[in-house]
Amino acid sequence: MSSSLSLTGKLLVREWRSGELGILLLALVLAVSVVVGVSSFVSRLQAALLSESARFLAADMVLVSRTPMPEVWSAKAEEMGLRITLGMGFPSMAVADADHMALVSIKAVSDGYPLRGELQWSSEPYGTILPGGVIPRAGEAWLAPRLFALLGIELGDPVFVGEAELTVSGAIRAEPDATTAVFGFGPRLLMNTDDIPLTGVIQPGSRIEYRLLLGGSAEAIEAFSEWVTPELGQGQRLDSVAGSQPRIGDTLDRAKGFLLLAGSLAVVLAAAAITLASRRFGERHTQYVAILKSLGAESGYIAGLYGSSLVYMGLFGAAVGCCLGWVLQEAFIQVLGDLLPVQPGAAGWQPAFIGVVTAMVCLVFFAWPPLRRLGAASPLRVLRADIGVAEAQRPLDFVLGGLAIIGLMWWYSGSALITAAVAVGLMIVIALGFSVARLLLSGSKTVGGFAGSVWRVALAGLQRRGRASALQMVIFAMAIMLMLLLSVVRSSLISQWQAQLPPDAPNHFLLNLAPEERQSLQDFFALNHIPSEVMYPMTRGRVFSVNDEPLPQWEQVEAEDAPRQREANFTWSDELPPGNALLDGRWWSADDESSWVSVEEDFAKAIGASVGDRLALRIGADSFEVVVGSIRQVDWQSMRPNFFMVFPRHVLERYPGMYMTSFRLPQGQKPLLNELVKVLPTVTIIELDIVIREMRSVVDQVARALELVLLVILLAGGLVLISGVRSSLDTRLRESALMRALGARRGLVLGALWVEFLVLGGLAGALASVGAEVAAWALQTQVFEMSWTPTPVMWWLGPVAGAMIVGALGVWSSRRVVSVPPVVLLREV
Amino acid sequence: MIKVSQLLKTVPTADGDLDILGGIELEIEAGMSAAIVGASGSGKSTLLGLLAGMDTATAGQIWLDGECLSDLDEDQRARLRAEKIGFVFQSFQLLPALTAKENVMLPLELAGIAGPGPIAERFLTEVGLESRLEHYPTTLSGGEQQRVAIARAFAREPRVLFADEPTGNLDTRTGERVINLLFELNARTSTTLVLVTHDERLAQRCDRRFAMTAGALCAL
Ligand SMILES: Nc1ncnc2c1ncn2[C@@H]1O[C@H](COP(=O)(O)OP(=O)(O)OP(=O)(O)O)[C@@H](O)[C@H]1O
Ligand SMILES: [Mg+2]
Repeated sequence: MSSSLSLTGKLLVREWRSGELGILLLALVLAVSVVVGVSSFVSRLQAALLSESARFLAADMVLVSRTPMPEVWSAKAEEMGLRITLGMGFPSMAVADADHMALVSIKAVSDGYPLRGELQWSSEPYGTILPGGVIPRAGEAWLAPRLFALLGIELGDPVFVGEAELTVSGAIRAEPDATTAVFGFGPRLLMNTDDIPLTGVIQPGSRIEYRLLLGGSAEAIEAFSEWVTPELGQGQRLDSVAGSQPRIGDTLDRAKGFLLLAGSLAVVLAAAAITLASRRFGERHTQYVAILKSLGAESGYIAGLYGSSLVYMGLFGAAVGCCLGWVLQEAFIQVLGDLLPVQPGAAGWQPAFIGVVTAMVCLVFFAWPPLRRLGAASPLRVLRADIGVAEAQRPLDFVLGGLAIIGLMWWYSGSALITAAVAVGLMIVIALGFSVARLLLSGSKTVGGFAGSVWRVALAGLQRRGRASALQMVIFAMAIMLMLLLSVVRSSLISQWQAQLPPDAPNHFLLNLAPEERQSLQDFFALNHIPSEVMYPMTRGRVFSVNDEPLPQWEQVEAEDAPRQREANFTWSDELPPGNALLDGRWWSADDESSWVSVEEDFAKAIGASVGDRLALRIGADSFEVVVGSIRQVDWQSMRPNFFMVFPRHVLERYPGMYMTSFRLPQGQKPLLNELVKVLPTVTIIELDIVIREMRSVVDQVARALELVLLVILLAGGLVLISGVRSSLDTRLRESALMRALGARRGLVLGALWVEFLVLGGLAGALASVGAEVAAWALQTQVFEMSWTPTPVMWWLGPVAGAMIVGALGVWSSRRVVSVPPVVLLREV
Repeated sequence: MIKVSQLLKTVPTADGDLDILGGIELEIEAGMSAAIVGASGSGKSTLLGLLAGMDTATAGQIWLDGECLSDLDEDQRARLRAEKIGFVFQSFQLLPALTAKENVMLPLELAGIAGPGPIAERFLTEVGLESRLEHYPTTLSGGEQQRVAIARAFAREPRVLFADEPTGNLDTRTGERVINLLFELNARTSTTLVLVTHDERLAQRCDRRFAMTAGALCAL
């Protein structure tokens, strides 16, 4: 029978020219490639995010110990394929000469540090950042910029740590593990572990922290963690990345959500295109099948013929889609690559699996139903053309298809919320669409007759094909809605990100400002034309009991998130700090005499406190009690000073505290910092501008990746529009050709086509705006946790763009009606 | 070969059921040729479709080569069509995606006959289309399409050949050639011919003639 396949096979292959198979295949390839591309990119991103968190440890895992660690531990780690580097930290005095000494936080590192992230340093305090990959050599030390002023020394000068004399050879600007490796409060002095024995500080009772940094594959880390955990003794612990949130995590998280959304939309759009193409293909083939059957082909043979052609198409589409998907995710990695700290690992086979399943679902639920009943077509059609074309799809097919697509979206995006938002938007469009269509297209029968104006001809045409027109309009509306939705979500994501980093926001924090130094800081700012910001009083304190229930100390707690004592910066304010949101309780009024406190939500969770609870606090040697008045949410992404605990002024005023503030310093004025630390040598300056620059480049690059996805989605939407237009092409061509044959002017026929498609597109666009607005609201408020504002531009852009695009596509597809003599057309269709 | 008894065909329409055929009795022996004539709309095509097993009767029986059509399901009738029946349709029914030659090869392939190409060429030559082998149906004239349809029905050398106005679109000379071809086939392979025609010359050459009037058949 191989030869019998050849002719019927040829029949199908030549149908390629009719366009439907092309659209079907293209839609399939598009769906698979977007799904594969996005999901493999997202899983690689996930891995990269984890290593991004690893930056905060400067390693994938850190073994911390109060005593020197057994040699076997590092030997075992290396044996397990891990990279290791040893560090130590302790508070000590740094001495320049008899008059200049300062309490510093010493960190000693050895070759290989850091295993993750980058050490930023410069040769001058606040000078240009130099390339990383180096650490202070033996005999050298790098100092925090303000130490230069505190100690009154310059580059090349000696500095003593214990008994060791070190030469100052650089300024330390940023360390990846600055927040996790804290040894006292002094400014940092970075040195080489080789010099530690010379200092003579290692004595019984000295407070040295030993840190063994470990880096390597997730499996090796896991294995070592399992091996070493039982060995850990008193004062030894294992720190790993799980749980820490990278700075750019939030941005990338939302970008991930967006990509998954886009992928889901690609699947919906592809399913629509596939259904339409398959329907038209099936309709055209009903006649062919009738002929084949009249020539003796059995229904099993027909089903096999079309079924196997779908299988081939599925294999081809899945293969090509997977390849293109791989290319797509490579493109994403290229675009985003340099902001990922490490080369993200392989994505594995999971995405390809998702792609193949997507292809199968698309074919089984969307391409197959219109073709399945071809086998049952009556051969009688060859005798009488009007013989019942069994409805290509039954309601059950649509229900099954809808469920399949919802299931696929859900499985794929992993988010019920994304799925629900899109599904609800689509349902609104479908319901509204069919009611509007019923009202407008099949309601009044007043416009009758062929003759007369373009409008009458067009509306009569739309009414005659009432059901088909309604379906067409709903399909257009769905496609336009999804395209609008994605554009809206994309631009609001990007503007939200950019709003977080306004160009004139403060880019430096200044801490440890003594109350009496406030005036000199203000004078310094005034002199140098630096606008000054609010100064927050700041006191460090500890929460040690909740409702008289003492909290255990940090070291005594085993469980990860059991309540424990916490130390935090306290401030006072009579108003809710800007950018904070009250979650529970009320803010106190300025004249309230009670001892309130407002607690940040995560901090409240960590100590196990809620509104109305009594907290016992300790500042220095004093203890006092307050009542939780409110729980706040703090936007940690904002570049403002944020506090865990805020008190009314009268509660905190009597405790001595330091002040903190923020200020904005343009890049060119950086050298002013040197003068500032000379004027105020005890203050700490945090250079946020380095972080901000990094975040801005993240946003820019993520925005580019989103654009790439948007483009792909617009392509998928375009495919749906084209196949939607084509779905009515045969009847339209025949009718128009007949009209011309019966004497209608070209202008009339063309004009009527324009009007028909403009009306369909415009209506569809208007419906799409409604659906997109609803879905955008749901996505932005529920999924992306952003504020929602209506998008008025969409309300006119939807209908106008819909009318223009559908009109142009429609007239372009049916251009042959006026360019080809009617006899030729009548012969073909 | 063909035996029909009490054949009834009723179709539902907007204004109630419409009887197209009523109480048809017919018997045609193997190797015979029969012509059915009648006014337009009298039910000739409907009868032919029923005889070829492409439609089901409302009542009555049709036996074709010993098999009772009403006992067969659609797939069994399809197999019967593939094995024994050729049909020339009033409206040709060529597949537009296949060339003239491929259209003729199609039933040969469906029946699993080896080397269909030369056979198709031979029959197309016989209907005078040797220069049109690779043309697609849309580029052929109505008469040429009809001849392709005839070649397609002949190529299988079926046991029974049904032809619905096979010469309807042909000029006198070509019509003559097609008629000769039909009877050659009838003579050579003793194919039973059942023709619907308005062509008096064609009807005259048949062994038996029937007249259809408003759904009733009577022998002439
Ligand atoms: N499915 C149907 N529904 C309604 N009417 C039908 C149906 N099938 C056939 N008819 C009617 O039955 C009558 C017989 O049709 P048929 O095609 O058999 O005529 P015919 O004798 O072949 O005519 P012609 O010589 O014009 O081809 C016609 O009036 C036709 O309209
Ligand atoms: Mg007829």
